[in-house]
Amino acid sequence: MPLQLNLLHEEILQHRQRQRDPLKLSLYAAIALGALLMLNYLWTGYRVLQGKSRLNSIQAEWNKIEPKVTAAQKRADELNGIIGTTNALDGYIETRFYWATFLEKVAHCVTPNIQITSLEGVIEDDKGLVTATLDGVAGGREPRSVAEDFRQMLLEQVGKEQPTVKVEFKTLEDLDTTVAVGGSNETTAHFVVTVGMEPFPKAATPPPTEHKARPKKEES
Amino acid sequence: MNKEQVKKLFLGGLGLIALLYVYFSFFLGPLNKSRDAVQAKIKDLQTKISTSKAEISKAAKLEESAHSATVRYDALRALSPEGAPIAWFPPRMKTFLSTHQIDKGTTRLETNSACKEKELADWSRYLWIIDLPQADFESLGNAIAQLENTNPLLSIKKLRIYAATDDPEMQKAVFTAATIIYKK
Repeated sequence: MPLQLNLLHEEILQHRQRQRDPLKLSLYAAIALGALLMLNYLWTGYRVLQGKSRLNSIQAEWNKIEPKVTAAQKRADELNGIIGTTNALDGYIETRFYWATFLEKVAHCVTPNIQITSLEGVIEDDKGLVTATLDGVAGGREPRSVAEDFRQMLLEQVGKEQPTVKVEFKTLEDLDTTVAVGGSNETTAHFVVTVGMEPFPKAATPPPTEHKARPKKEES
Repeated sequence: MNKEQVKKLFLGGLGLIALLYVYFSFFLGPLNKSRDAVQAKIKDLQTKISTSKAEISKAAKLEESAHSATVRYDALRALSPEGAPIAWFPPRMKTFLSTHQIDKGTTRLETNSACKEKELADWSRYLWIIDLPQADFESLGNAIAQLENTNPLLSIKKLRIYAATDDPEMQKAVFTAATIIYKK
């Protein structure tokens, strides 16, 4: 094997050493890192700009919707108010007590030997009670039984529509006076009848129904 | 590596740390912050838009379903004419009663107050005393029936009918009517 002389050995070594210079290598690494960081920065900046442009378009959309939604909310509030008011008014209307119907029932029960001298009715809204007081005179051979017949008939008539009705005597007393009924003189009795009913019980309010009062036909 | 190179490397390392710190704190940090803020704003606006769209469609549906209620509300409101009730209610009652052959009658206001229900904040409750010194029972019954049927916001709270001493054919009647009237 021939002997080879490398006369550039030192120069090559120096060149290699220069190439492996850690300072130089780290400088390259720093430049590469810097470039990476710069790319990352630019990418992030691009995404921010993209986000801002998206935000602008969404903001524009919101600016279009906002007046509509404000108007819709206002209208919805108004409509809810109207619905609430209508329901409250309907509740008031549906829980009215119709006196005409009651007067008609009373008129049906008044026979020729009964005279009602006074009728007083009151609605107690807080208790949901309706009370009526009828003051009258019954005439007949047995005026007390005539008055009792009237009470029973009234209970039956009013009870058809008001199952909770109570018709009771408050007073029933014989009078000394006599009256002419059908050509003959009859003895009389004074009576006071109270009618109590609960047309709209507080616990179970009936569902709204059409309820119309009918005109009266008979005269007391 | 000689001492000089180690020193340079150490300084280079410090420089790198400083560079990274500056990069993350003063460059990338604010950018990320801004991006997060934008994302949050987008999310917020998107939520607002979706709820708003839902609300708009809900209001449209409500508008459809509330049609009958609005018609009814307008009809009930139309029962209250313009002006003070004391100015129009008594003459209206007088005219109404005269159509039922009850010519003598006075209507006076007993009380008026705001309705207790919060839904009826725009409505007032008026109590009227209607005094009929001479009324035939049949005519009175018919009048009361028609009054109750044609005035849904009127309710008779008290009623007193008694025999007139001067005329046995006629009765005297006094009733208290409560009306709900829209505040114009």
